[in-house]
Amino acid sequence: MGLIIAMVLPAVVGSLLIIGSRRINAGAAGFLALAAAAGALVATVAAAASGARIKRSWVADWGIGANFATDQISSPLALLTASITVLVVLHGLRHRPPGGSAGLYYGLLLLVELGALATFWTRDLIVFFIAFEIVLIPMWVLIHRFGDNHDPVARREAAIRFVLYTALGSSIMLTGILALVGQAGTSDMRQVLAAGLTSDTQLWIALLLVIGLAVKVPVFPFHSWLPPAHTIAPTAGSVLLAAVLLKMGTYGLIRLPLALTPDGFARVGPLLATLGVVGILWGGLICLVERDLKRLIAYSSVAHMGFVALALGTGSGLGLQAALIANVAHGVISALLFFVVGALKDRWGSVDLSVVRPALRESWPGLGVALMVGLAGSLGLPGLAGFWGEFLAIASAWNPQGSGAAAPIVWLQDAERIGWFAYSPLDALFEIDGIQIALTAGPPNAALIRGLAVAAALGAVLAAAYSLRVAKLIWMGDEAPRDWAGDVTPVEALVMAVLAIAIIVLGLMPYLIFSGPTPFGGVLR
Amino acid sequence: MTAPHLLALALLVLAAGAPAVLAAGLASRRVASGLAQVVALAAAGLGVASLWGAHGAYALPVLRTTDPATPAELTLFPARIATGPVVVTIAATVLLVVLAVQVFAGWYLHDDDRQPAFAATVSLFAAAMLLLVVSRDLILTLIGWEVMGWCSYLLIGHWSRKGSARRAAYKAFLVTRLADAAFVIGIVALIALAGSSDLEQVLGASSDLSRVTSSVAGACPDTGSCLGPNTALINLAMTALVIGVLGKSAQIPFQDWLIDAMEGPTPASALIHAATMVAAGTWVLTALHPVLFEAPVALWVLAVATAATMIYAAFTAFFQTDVKRILAWSTISQVAVMLSPLAVAATVDDGSAAAAGHLFSHAIFKALLFLTVGWLAVLAGSTAARDLDGIGADSTFAKAVWGLGLISLAGVPLTVGGISKEHVIDVAAWIGGDGPGLRQGIVTVALLVTVAMTAAYATRAYEIVAGRRGAPTPQAQATAAEHGHRDAGPLVKGTLALLALATLAGGLVFLVGPLDPGHVSVGLLALSVLLIGTGVVVGWYLRPDDSLPPARLMTLASNGFGADTAYLKVVAVPVLALARLAAFVDREVVETYVRAPGWIAALTGRGADWSHAKERVSTDLVWVVLGLLAVAGVALWG
Repeated sequence: MGLIIAMVLPAVVGSLLIIGSRRINAGAAGFLALAAAAGALVATVAAAASGARIKRSWVADWGIGANFATDQISSPLALLTASITVLVVLHGLRHRPPGGSAGLYYGLLLLVELGALATFWTRDLIVFFIAFEIVLIPMWVLIHRFGDNHDPVARREAAIRFVLYTALGSSIMLTGILALVGQAGTSDMRQVLAAGLTSDTQLWIALLLVIGLAVKVPVFPFHSWLPPAHTIAPTAGSVLLAAVLLKMGTYGLIRLPLALTPDGFARVGPLLATLGVVGILWGGLICLVERDLKRLIAYSSVAHMGFVALALGTGSGLGLQAALIANVAHGVISALLFFVVGALKDRWGSVDLSVVRPALRESWPGLGVALMVGLAGSLGLPGLAGFWGEFLAIASAWNPQGSGAAAPIVWLQDAERIGWFAYSPLDALFEIDGIQIALTAGPPNAALIRGLAVAAALGAVLAAAYSLRVAKLIWMGDEAPRDWAGDVTPVEALVMAVLAIAIIVLGLMPYLIFSGPTPFGGVLR
Repeated sequence: MTAPHLLALALLVLAAGAPAVLAAGLASRRVASGLAQVVALAAAGLGVASLWGAHGAYALPVLRTTDPATPAELTLFPARIATGPVVVTIAATVLLVVLAVQVFAGWYLHDDDRQPAFAATVSLFAAAMLLLVVSRDLILTLIGWEVMGWCSYLLIGHWSRKGSARRAAYKAFLVTRLADAAFVIGIVALIALAGSSDLEQVLGASSDLSRVTSSVAGACPDTGSCLGPNTALINLAMTALVIGVLGKSAQIPFQDWLIDAMEGPTPASALIHAATMVAAGTWVLTALHPVLFEAPVALWVLAVATAATMIYAAFTAFFQTDVKRILAWSTISQVAVMLSPLAVAATVDDGSAAAAGHLFSHAIFKALLFLTVGWLAVLAGSTAARDLDGIGADSTFAKAVWGLGLISLAGVPLTVGGISKEHVIDVAAWIGGDGPGLRQGIVTVALLVTVAMTAAYATRAYEIVAGRRGAPTPQAQATAAEHGHRDAGPLVKGTLALLALATLAGGLVFLVGPLDPGHVSVGLLALSVLLIGTGVVVGWYLRPDDSLPPARLMTLASNGFGADTAYLKVVAVPVLALARLAAFVDREVVETYVRAPGWIAALTGRGADWSHAKERVSTDLVWVVLGLLAVAGVALWG
């Protein structure tokens, strides 16, 4: 029930708001959207806590249908999506960008939520693709209509690049999905795995899926749609892009190639891990010289997603968990940073770091504190959310065999033997629905993967260098008068405080993401 | 309550105190400062109480990846803290030094508009150090380690209105963070060896594995370690860890960040130097000493780095033109002394005991010295040697506290510094045993040279404060006048007096407490006294006249002999060049194929447009025919 409400509510309210568009007054639209987003959040929490499951077949032969379920891999991301949507709608009540009616704006936000939630919950390959694509159009409109209006040409170009490039990635992924469905004869994920594809078939399907999804993540060298999209997108668009859309890419990597073609993915893994580490260094280096703060944070996202790619590429159980936790952490941290940078852009007109402005610590300490929490999270300070994912990614890369294979964890997460963040006793032979699955691929080359671990550790130093570069340029500075009126508005303060607290709480208690019968992601047993 | 519970509570008090102090600062600076001192007092009380508590272990409910209810056999990172006699002694010392710093800062920064932020950061810093001291889990150690680094960034950059402070904070964080990359790899490698981050398991695994060069695949958690001799991996892990320690402890080649860090307020310097960040590496290696002992490469790196650092830093200290910088170089030298027994000791216990002992002594006398110079600098309006010249000449109290601190620093027998330093030399020199040869020789000679040089710069430091020669600069007089020659109150002077007393009475801790005074060898003791005497005489005669413009050597020494420029040339410039290259390639190459889908779409659009143009029926026909041919071809082929 929770699943249906959480998806129907944003779908219906979002569509109504878009249809109503100008005829609905801004206040009513905002209230309606907030109510829908809040309702969806409550329903998501309920669904996560009860371990909801829906299964209806539409096309019986292929098993295509409404096949939705929550588990410990879906729930954290679904909760992240639902919470971030509430925050962006809340933020829109006071800081809605110009470019269109309130109804349209909120409607688009809710449709993005719908697509993301459906992506995270579906267990059907075809529906996964549809849900994955639902998000694109509202996001494109958000960038195109509500984006930065200083430069219409750049805005059009960024929007078109975003939609075309990611659609290109999706079509490669679609090829992979269709090949998988064709080979397995079903689109139900559980049955696909049981179909027992040969290792070589798995390899080329995994390759298609990984390339297609790598665009969305984005993994180097498919990342360059992200910086312009972030620069132009309105604050809410940037936040959704970083906190939700990128996560659909990494989630897809886990749910499709890693879980469905485990042997193929194990062979692609070293390549993915290598590209991830190149992305860490590449993004980190560019951040050292980038002048536009929004672009800088976009490149830092490339670096952070590189850690996720590295963790998944190890093919280890610990790596999988590192990727999940890094996903959620990046979602919260980048959301906070984009809210802060959006607020700065509203006030300054641009976020060019080469322009000397009054230091935040002097004139707007409220925004300054929020920025510093975000930057500390971004550089992976222990005790904040970002630390665990990145540290565990390095740990899993150093010793990929120590924690068992990744794929069994996706499938057997309710088993008693699974200890999250343990050297899991699961082995390469496991059973789903009575069918034996045997993984044949070996672990990645030890020298390569350890080299990658060292390079990733050095990449974390770059993260410190660019984060504190930003702090040095805009947080610290010469004495300037305190400007009470220009500092955070109450709505901004609320949104930023929620995110900052989330960063600290997840940093202190990262297990909230996974374990136990908690509304934060565990399933009631 | 048992000792680990008391210290966990102290952790909670300090960590939760930080945001509380910050919040109180919104209301009133004085309330915030008072609250910070109360928090520090409560934590110190808990720390002292833990000295009498029963020892044991306690798993923290936070900072772990599994919830506390998870069965113990499934947890990779159990987040355990534990106490023993030495642990509680060091913990209590740290907490008492923090209390002294908070009390002092309440006076020192009373007209600073960001005092609450400072006090809150000190509180968080103290929590991080305490976590590191009581940690029995490598991940908790790493957390304390990194959080201290972050707090030091905030403390050094406290006066962020000064460009030099901003740069110093940035440099301090980056230099230590660079070394931390190695530290992280070391920890990750140790976890891989043991299959857990728990220290007991790490110690157990290293002692088992190092004796077995190949093991059964199933019994070996780390395949890499089973392929070759395990000493290789232990060597690698511990060398990486030692590099991380050299960074945080400001040893060569990372020494220069600590000198710039003098841009921070003096209480921050006292905190960073005395009992926390700079000394933290010693504690980490002390806890891991059994593993370090199995790693000869790491021992060599540590021995060479500390031997070179202690002499170089002591030499450089003598020629500084700023008293705070004399103390900073003296810290670098003394931390090298502290680390050196770990590199050459005959047994694991000897090395750990000597290192922990000197950590304890250094905490006391360095806190005293920094707080005293902070107090005198407020009176003088500057920390430069020429401005502090003779500032304490008329005050017996100033001469007494400053002198006691320096006597202990110089290692005069029966002071805390003297007792622990003798122990270090004794352990390094391996009296009555077969030493490890060259390594032991290098360190022992370096230690003896350092003893004489320390006495020399301590003499110079005493003479600056106690003997009058020139007149202070007009700027310093103006700064001092602006602060109304605000002398410290009885609370601050009482703190200084207690610390000064502790440099004498602290020796008792070695006699009745858990810290090991070592075996005093009369020959070495006599040699030490002789060297100290020589140092005092040489220091007295060679001391530069601070009222004159500094000589060339002094200018060079005050600039750290160009280490800053070297850092820029060797690291910063190449990395930035690489960054520019990456940005260029990203813009000019990677972007190109991103635009490609747009171009292709536009091109096909135009092509379709062209092929569908109405007046070109013939072309349409061509397409149809081509299509039919293609279909036929496919059908035939199939």
